[in-house]
Amino acid sequence: MSASTIRALTGNREVPTQTCPRLSARWLVHAALIVAGVLYVYPFLWVLAGSFKTQGEFFRSGLSLLPKQLNLDNYVYAWEAGQFSTYFTNTVVLAVSVTALVILFASMAGYVLSKTNVSGKKIILGGMVALMFLPGGYTIIPIFDLVQRLGLLDSLVGVIVVQTAGALIFNTLLFMGYFSTISKEIEEAALIDGANLPTTYARVMLPMASPMVATVGLFQFMQNWNAFWIPLVFTIGNPSLRTLAVGMYAFVGENSTGWTYICAGAIMSILPIMALFFFLQRYFIEAVAGAVKS
Amino acid sequence: MVSLVLLFVVYPLIASINITLYDWNGIGVPTRFVGLQNFIKVAQDQWFWNAFRNTFVYTFVLVPIQLALALMLALVLNNPRLKGSTVYRAVYFSPVVTSAALVGVVMSLLLSSMGSEISGPLMRAGLISAPVDVLGSPAFALPAVIAVGIWHTLGYNLVYFLAALQSIPKEMYEAAMVDGANAWHRFLEITIPMLREVGAVILFLAVLGSLQIFDLVLVMTGGGPYYASEVVSTYIYRFAFTPASVAAESNVGYASAAAFFMGVLVMTLTLGQLLAVRYLQQRKKA
Repeated sequence: MSASTIRALTGNREVPTQTCPRLSARWLVHAALIVAGVLYVYPFLWVLAGSFKTQGEFFRSGLSLLPKQLNLDNYVYAWEAGQFSTYFTNTVVLAVSVTALVILFASMAGYVLSKTNVSGKKIILGGMVALMFLPGGYTIIPIFDLVQRLGLLDSLVGVIVVQTAGALIFNTLLFMGYFSTISKEIEEAALIDGANLPTTYARVMLPMASPMVATVGLFQFMQNWNAFWIPLVFTIGNPSLRTLAVGMYAFVGENSTGWTYICAGAIMSILPIMALFFFLQRYFIEAVAGAVKS
Repeated sequence: MVSLVLLFVVYPLIASINITLYDWNGIGVPTRFVGLQNFIKVAQDQWFWNAFRNTFVYTFVLVPIQLALALMLALVLNNPRLKGSTVYRAVYFSPVVTSAALVGVVMSLLLSSMGSEISGPLMRAGLISAPVDVLGSPAFALPAVIAVGIWHTLGYNLVYFLAALQSIPKEMYEAAMVDGANAWHRFLEITIPMLREVGAVILFLAVLGSLQIFDLVLVMTGGGPYYASEVVSTYIYRFAFTPASVAAESNVGYASAAAFFMGVLVMTLTLGQLLAVRYLQQRKKA
């Protein structure tokens, strides 16, 4: 008897005995995943329900997920009196500017570094890798001092500059890796056609790197939408510059009893990024998975 | 790009050393040179060591639990015959896209609401005398923050592990099944060794991220009650960025010394881990 027949025989013997338990086991797995999944997003659902409840209902209803009616007063209060309209604008400005700046600078630097003939490339790369592993949070005090002396304290520009600088190294390395995989012939063809380096970058190479632009863009947008530490520290003196995350934190301190307002504020902070996540889910997850691979 | 990096990444590193040598409240130019006094004061402050211990407790409780859960979930979701695994993946990933600050606020609300909900029956049954206040109790505050931390960033590790699992060649499992290896053996003999390298990177990122924990603690407990959940970053924040009018203890030089000490320590750990990862990679090649 050959090995393949043994395989076929044992394989055949296994199938009938295992189909039944496997089928019910599969339903069990689904049941467990669904229950755990609902529990997993329960905090969000609870806050969503809470944002429609009245103050009294909120305290009476405890952990229930169903508001009695869709009461929008909390949203109106948070948006107007709670300053969330300002926080929202600030967050959009911060997230969009940092994302654009990081894509621009990191792709330009990454493009140049991907060329093999740059002088001092090894030194620059070595320095970048070394810096990437420095713990970021612990240099906040000198950064604060620097921004203060540059006169950028209590301005969104200060927050944008610091956030951009902090993200450059990692993303430059990502772009460098991507550009070095693009075939050199296309680039050479562009150069032969008389395009100079900036034109080649802007017209040929950057469009070809669009998957990386999407990855970096999505990740940066998410990170800056959610940024807390830097915006918190750099807007301490000026509440009108708070972002949603910082505003939420401050709002809790100022409205420690207005729980339904806090829920409405939370939903307004989550909704845009969650919507983006659900529409671009695959890219989000690929962006994250790609980060660990490289 | 280079100037931005030099200005906001490299310069602060050097400047922070300078600031640590002054007694400075953060306003104007530091003038009172105190040498290494700040470092000595940090080393002698029991609350620094308390924050230090909490940071490591946070990291070394959170990381193993989170990675184990993420790996288990990844193994379940990696099954190609499991329908809807992308939907599950999205659900378990979703907390990741929200900010730690917001998660902290939401969870504090939920915990206090849950506290009053659970406390009622327990009080009537005579089991407890006062309502449970999880975040207000020195014993439960840090564990609660850890639990929320596990929940919040589990999705990252889930996606990392899924990507790693998908890179294992299917033929290896098929060959092992032919050889009669059961699921447990396949896990031990194929999955674990094949994950070792990426696993080291995942562990590395998880430890590095956890040692820098700030947002969740600040929002959920502010480091309280009685500093029971204070971590090094909130300790630094308390000294450096609490306005002098609120706290007389505000001292930027002192906070810098604490930050510098912690920064060097984290960097040493990082280098150690990097070497370990590199060692694993080289051993694999050999």
